[in-house]
Amino acid sequence: MDILIYGTINSMALALMALGFALVYGISRVANFAHGALYVISGFVTWGFVRALGVNYLLSIFLTMIIIGVVGALIYQFILIRVRGMAISEIIASYAIGLAILEGLRWGGFKGMTYTLPVFIEGSVDIGEIPVDFHRLVVVGIGAAVVAFLWLFTHHTRIGLALRGMAQDERAALMLGIDSDLMAVVAMALGSMLAGLAAILLLPLGNIVVEAGYNVLILAIAVCIVGGLGSWMGAVLAAFLIGFAQILTVKYLGSHYQMVVALLAIIFTLVLRPSGLFGQQKELEERV
Amino acid sequence: MKKKSMWGVIIVVIVVIAAFVIYYATRPPKIEPGIVIGCPLSTAFLYGWDAERAITLAVEEINAAGGVNVAGKKRPFKVEVIDTRDLEPGVPVSEALLVVEKLILEKKADFILGGPVRSEAALAAMDLLSKYKKVSILTTGVLTPKYHARVAKEYDKFKYCFRITGEAVWMVTGEIIPCLVDIGQRFGLDRIFIMIQDVAHARGGGGLIAKIMAKKGWHVIGKPEIYPTGTTDFSMGLIKAKKEKAQVILIWMDMPETSILLKQWYDMKLPALPFGSIIAAAEQPGFWKATEGKGEYCLANVVNAGNAPSNATPWTMKFVEAYKKRWNIEPEGYGTSTSYMAPYVLKDAIERAGSLEPDAIIKALEATDMMGVYGRIRFDPKSHQVIPSVDPEEGAVGSIFQWQAKKRVVVFPKKIAMGEIQLPPWMKK
Repeated sequence: MDILIYGTINSMALALMALGFALVYGISRVANFAHGALYVISGFVTWGFVRALGVNYLLSIFLTMIIIGVVGALIYQFILIRVRGMAISEIIASYAIGLAILEGLRWGGFKGMTYTLPVFIEGSVDIGEIPVDFHRLVVVGIGAAVVAFLWLFTHHTRIGLALRGMAQDERAALMLGIDSDLMAVVAMALGSMLAGLAAILLLPLGNIVVEAGYNVLILAIAVCIVGGLGSWMGAVLAAFLIGFAQILTVKYLGSHYQMVVALLAIIFTLVLRPSGLFGQQKELEERV
Repeated sequence: MKKKSMWGVIIVVIVVIAAFVIYYATRPPKIEPGIVIGCPLSTAFLYGWDAERAITLAVEEINAAGGVNVAGKKRPFKVEVIDTRDLEPGVPVSEALLVVEKLILEKKADFILGGPVRSEAALAAMDLLSKYKKVSILTTGVLTPKYHARVAKEYDKFKYCFRITGEAVWMVTGEIIPCLVDIGQRFGLDRIFIMIQDVAHARGGGGLIAKIMAKKGWHVIGKPEIYPTGTTDFSMGLIKAKKEKAQVILIWMDMPETSILLKQWYDMKLPALPFGSIIAAAEQPGFWKATEGKGEYCLANVVNAGNAPSNATPWTMKFVEAYKKRWNIEPEGYGTSTSYMAPYVLKDAIERAGSLEPDAIIKALEATDMMGVYGRIRFDPKSHQVIPSVDPEEGAVGSIFQWQAKKRVVVFPKKIAMGEIQLPPWMKK
């Protein structure tokens, strides 16, 4: 029972961390290595509103989402667009932006263990004698809702369909009048907002530290590689695979092997099926 | 004509002499060069930044009082800090070594104070200190007993290395075990669950506590649970502790994520007292606010007195007030009071030695006997480890506090205790 409950919670947390990264890559083919930094900065922005300015928590969350979406869009519009199509340059540029944000925060004095966000609901409940706090249940609930929302958004809205068109075949989408740069900006804004949402949901469980940016990036990459770069449904499935594998490892092997799981998953996937579970990038080459 | 020339020469000579007299009388006093203290510290983490603040405070006080008297000449201390990042996950030891070398070669440090902070990095830095003959006083982080054991074993090579803070063996046998035994006797607890971070000092310390507590008749549940640095979920370990009916959870972690552990402990209302033998997250004054009180009843060892308010010596509260005035916060945790004392101890040694020559300073430091913020400060002349005690009149005392009603209340050692240990309400029968 404990494996089922905490495996689900861990998997949903991983999915939330990775969805933004998967979405941006899937649509604009930009590997956004600033994803972890956007996650951390979202935490600090919310903290600023809630703790420093005393703004209502819900309003703070809303404002943070807007701000982080705009930040993501600006990053694309002013920096990444210039190197679009040059994969290595995109990675270097986005990683540099991430480094600048994270190290800038550290340099600015945002270090230590006292930056925290309040949980949404206090208290805990026993599910089959396993204690679970309400906030973790909220994470699972909102995580599932986000996955459902993304599916509905990309299948039943004009922008969503345009984004999917871009993801499937950019040239064909261009011929149909879809502005690829605009869609890439939208994707980056959405991806950043998802990073922000993950931060708002997960950071109340602990504290906001700069180092989390690097950890989140590694986990997001691991999930996306296993799921298949570009496939956000693959990312969800991979999150559950890695999430449960981590919990099983903690339970039966030892908690200090937990971090190894994600890295081993990357290695095994790259060796056995480089395009991941649902990736199409190198599928033809793999078949050959 | 001759008379006129004579007068001219006399006037010129007088003017020149007057100019010299005026120049020497009005010139600014010659500034003696500063004594450079190089501080390799992991400044993004508590044990790094609190050390930096404490060293800065002490140096400001010393300089304001005239500086250091080196053979009759007053010289100021000058602090150079470089971030070693050695407490951050994944940062290799070599980074800290580069910092130590940079401080010595580029910043021309006369002495090294503070770190490196991580035990592994400090052990590796010993060879560098020996190579450059730089006297160093460790003030924070490093707890491994290997450090002073190496000095004792190879004195001639490592005689430059001193440690003014605690070390794991005394901390465990002299402070943590007696405190745990006391808790056991007072509340009838004897089941302990150990959760540690995957770093050398925690593995060593956690293992040692498990062994000793088993010998003391306690039931040690399983092997210590080891968590990698950066872990953000401790639920499986806590569930295990609950299932196995743990009564005390011993935590040995210096990572910030430990606050997650305590929040989870609180949310689960786990009937086990959290005892942080090292628990960086709970040491800081801001911990209460950060966890919205969820860390209440957590015990935290801050290694030395003065890192939380107490009346260990007449200097302790003076230091606490001075630190509060300078940094707008109480001394923050492990490494604060020791880092504050190190410049004072060094000043004392330099003044007695009358020079900055390493061998003279080493002899002077070995003869140190000073009543400081956390008790009497003396170094073992063979191992250069500060001599510990549970009595501030006899040696450097430790400090274990418990979070009670928003305050850090020192509960151990008895001689400096400011209150009694309490159990959380859901543990009371």
